[in-house]
Amino acid sequence: MIEARHLSKRYGDVVAVQDVSFEVGRGEVVGFLGPNGAGKTTTMRMLTGFLPPTDGTAVIAGHDIFADPLAARRAIGYLPEILPLYPEMSVRSYLDYVARIKDVPRRARRESVDRALERCGLAHEARRVIGTLSKGYRQRVGLAQAIVHDPAVLILDEPTVGLDPLQVREIRNLIRDLAAPRDGQPQHTVILSTHILPEVEAICRRVILMNEGRKAIDAPLAELTAGGRSLDEIFARETARDVASDVAEGAR
Amino acid sequence: MRHIADVAGRELRGLFVSPVAYGVLSLFSVLAGLFFIVTLAAFNEWIFRLQQFQAFDQLAELNLNEHLIGQFYHSMAVVLLFLVPGITMGLFASEKTNGTQELLLTSPLTVWDIVLGKFLAGAAFVLVLGAIVGAFPALLFVYGDPEPLWTLSGLLGVVLVGLTYVSIGAFASSLTRSQMVAFLLTFVVLLILLILPAISDLDVAGTGGAGEGLRWLSTETHLEELVKGLVDTQHLAYFAVMIAGFLVLTKASVESVRWR
Repeated sequence: MIEARHLSKRYGDVVAVQDVSFEVGRGEVVGFLGPNGAGKTTTMRMLTGFLPPTDGTAVIAGHDIFADPLAARRAIGYLPEILPLYPEMSVRSYLDYVARIKDVPRRARRESVDRALERCGLAHEARRVIGTLSKGYRQRVGLAQAIVHDPAVLILDEPTVGLDPLQVREIRNLIRDLAAPRDGQPQHTVILSTHILPEVEAICRRVILMNEGRKAIDAPLAELTAGGRSLDEIFARETARDVASDVAEGAR
Repeated sequence: MRHIADVAGRELRGLFVSPVAYGVLSLFSVLAGLFFIVTLAAFNEWIFRLQQFQAFDQLAELNLNEHLIGQFYHSMAVVLLFLVPGITMGLFASEKTNGTQELLLTSPLTVWDIVLGKFLAGAAFVLVLGAIVGAFPALLFVYGDPEPLWTLSGLLGVVLVGLTYVSIGAFASSLTRSQMVAFLLTFVVLLILLILPAISDLDVAGTGGAGEGLRWLSTETHLEELVKGLVDTQHLAYFAVMIAGFLVLTKASVESVRWR
């Protein structure tokens, strides 16, 4: 579903992301880990087409982000770190607008919006103005916006940041639910970034750890924690090392 | 290109839930009324004087289109200069502060969808302002006999000036995150465009050619001709070039976010 091929992003002399490659299959939920500034957001922005990579490319649901950018973007639901909300709009009209610009056909639009409202627990807030919602509800609107066009791929940048513990749990359940197979079919493929380790343990089955712009670890969660080690220890060890790059070599 | 209407529709609704649009509309209506009354009073005063001095030749030359409607149009073009930046300042700047720029640029939209959608929203607003301006000369048809085509030509000029202002304002808004900066930048650029003929008249450099160039760049020069009833391709071309030029710049500016 997602194929990152040698993605690199340089700003002048500063290397933000260096030669990152990975593949994510249908229905997988991958946790994107790493300290702040490790290049998680930049990598996600390259996948979504917001930033063009300096080198490399990515293929989303069979569409290359350079060769067929509009089709690639159509296949992605994206929750940026800063919620992309218009405070003066009502929840429903906002989702309707997002559905329009995401190419949801006119006839399916109302149904798509209703489904997104329903799934994100916003059915009773549909008429409320976004600016008056609490942080937790705004986060839900952000998620609803990402799924309104029923994309094959979901990219969520720190979906639970700034929420209280109860809201965090709700959002996590929601994400798990989005990725769960329905009618025997895998649904959304999810990449979510976070630096909260329990979040990964709660939601993801696979971990990609980024450090200093490189991919340091790419392994199933079960495998990483098999030796009785906690994710905490692994994270601390990897991010402390200067030569995270050989680990990346080893993991490939 | 099919998303232009979606973007324009959201932008217009956004304008009308904020007090800015209503503020601009009411202020514009009040100022239009005020300027119309002032110009009308000056016109009447003039007639009165000419009658007193029995200057029948000049009295015969007096013309509603030239001495009343034309003056009014010029005043309203200046009012637009103050109010249009208020409408355009948020076009792109607010998308940046809302974080919605990232939504737009990761949606299956082209940059032209975004730029033209926003321009059309501003243009629709200017058409409403144009209708307000047009209402006053329309009154004169009840009490007098202005020339219809001459009147319309000037109104077209006012609307084209407004559209040019929208295009320039959109570009300014695309350059910054701050609506205040966008407003001031637009205002300063428009003011310079307005006073270019005056600068050209000073002829500081003593070069006639450059002076002519400055004069050509000014919106005022071309408005003047349209207000005189001269719908000439040359003047229409000026407005087309200005509007298209700033839209192209806006598109480049929006796109540049990706390359920063």
